[in-house]
Amino acid sequence: MDQAELILLFAKIWGGVGALVALAFLSFGIDRLDEDAKGAYVFRPLIVPGVLLIWPLVLWRWYILADGKDDWAKRYKPKRNSHNLFALIMPVLIIGIIAAGLSVRQTWPVNLAPVQLTEPGQ
Amino acid sequence: MSVKYTPVQWNLNKWGYDAVMLVGVVAFLWLFLFVSPELLSHEFPINPQVHNARAFGACAFVMLTVILCIGPLARIDERFLPLLYNRRHFGVMTTFVAITHASYILNWYFAFSKSDKFSALLFANTSYTQLAGFPFEAFGIFALICLAVLAATSHDFWMKFLTPPVWKRLHSLIYFAYAAVVAHVSLGILQDQQNHVFTVIFIGGALAVAGLHAYAAWLDWRGGDEVGAQSNGWIEICSPEDIKNGFAKIKLLPNGERVAVFNQEGKLSAISNACAHQNGPLGEGRVIDCLVTCPWHGFQYDVTDGRSPAPFTEKVPTYNLRLTDGVIQVDPKANPPGTYVEPVPIPGWQEVPA
Repeated sequence: MDQAELILLFAKIWGGVGALVALAFLSFGIDRLDEDAKGAYVFRPLIVPGVLLIWPLVLWRWYILADGKDDWAKRYKPKRNSHNLFALIMPVLIIGIIAAGLSVRQTWPVNLAPVQLTEPGQ
Repeated sequence: MSVKYTPVQWNLNKWGYDAVMLVGVVAFLWLFLFVSPELLSHEFPINPQVHNARAFGACAFVMLTVILCIGPLARIDERFLPLLYNRRHFGVMTTFVAITHASYILNWYFAFSKSDKFSALLFANTSYTQLAGFPFEAFGIFALICLAVLAATSHDFWMKFLTPPVWKRLHSLIYFAYAAVVAHVSLGILQDQQNHVFTVIFIGGALAVAGLHAYAAWLDWRGGDEVGAQSNGWIEICSPEDIKNGFAKIKLLPNGERVAVFNQEGKLSAISNACAHQNGPLGEGRVIDCLVTCPWHGFQYDVTDGRSPAPFTEKVPTYNLRLTDGVIQVDPKANPPGTYVEPVPIPGWQEVPA
């Protein structure tokens, strides 16, 4: 088994576990955690892709909420400083990446005529 | 606002927003596919799959660029706030356009390999140690995974379930995704681009995102909310005259929370500045009939108890406040969300005519 197959196997296992978590969470877990979800079933299929992708986070929040450990005050503390950090790092990164891309760009005669190497169908 | 979750909470504004967005996507694809295909280096004969892949890729890049410009623009000038209103639909649409781009690539360049096309995508180029010829596909895969996570967790349920700060952190992936897309294009199509119209669009768009974010962060740093001074365990906000009728003063508390103190017809009330929905800045909204409207997505709260009007169920914390020697002071310990606090009247208050 090569590395590409290993990565794909990991993705399949991740998605498989996510499917099991989605089944359990959307069948009975969600009703116990969120009163707005009780009796609301049509929106649930839209939640499935999210659970497939971030199921460890879903399990963690499920545990926190079910165990009564949720700290309501944390909901109202937006992390503005980290946002500004991203806002400052990203411009530097963008300029650096574009400069790197342009520096390795190869040039050749732009009027170089294409040459047909083989007959069509060969 | 939520009462019971529905798949999509449509309203007239959202229909309008989405209609404009769809028309924009169709117009972009029509322009790049049929009117001026040479803009994407289509002067040499190429097959429709590559043609479509380039057009959808360029479209996804432009959409992502616009999305990332909306946030800083709305912070720089509030006239851009309406663009923020339905940005999540914009993001989901961008993800679908990006998936279409990836599908065309996958089903053309890798579809005729003897091995599985997904395996072929991962091992076709493994020159990770050199910049020239770097496997730029890896950046595209990373960006697509990020966009998929963001689109899949865009429903309001996720915001409530994960809490707005965690949701916001998760959605900070957009910055990494954009940097990856810039790398994907810089080390990919830019290496072979002969018609430089798209090169100008690409570099101009990326620099616009970079410049707007840096400028908005600088403005925030220069004129950001101040930390209130402490006085016997209470936090000083300002003099009542400093708050116009229907508006608020925002102060940073020592514990990092932000409080918004409103003047509603000469009566003062204090609630958390962070909206329960996406932590939007409630203190930048206006109070009408006791209700403040969040400037980001229109969620409303009664400033006396922090509750959304029935039948909605959102709640934000409130703060006890007092007037001491003509200065408004706030108790930094927040009350649980939805707790009623008797408004404090401003002695001798008279509305100043506009």
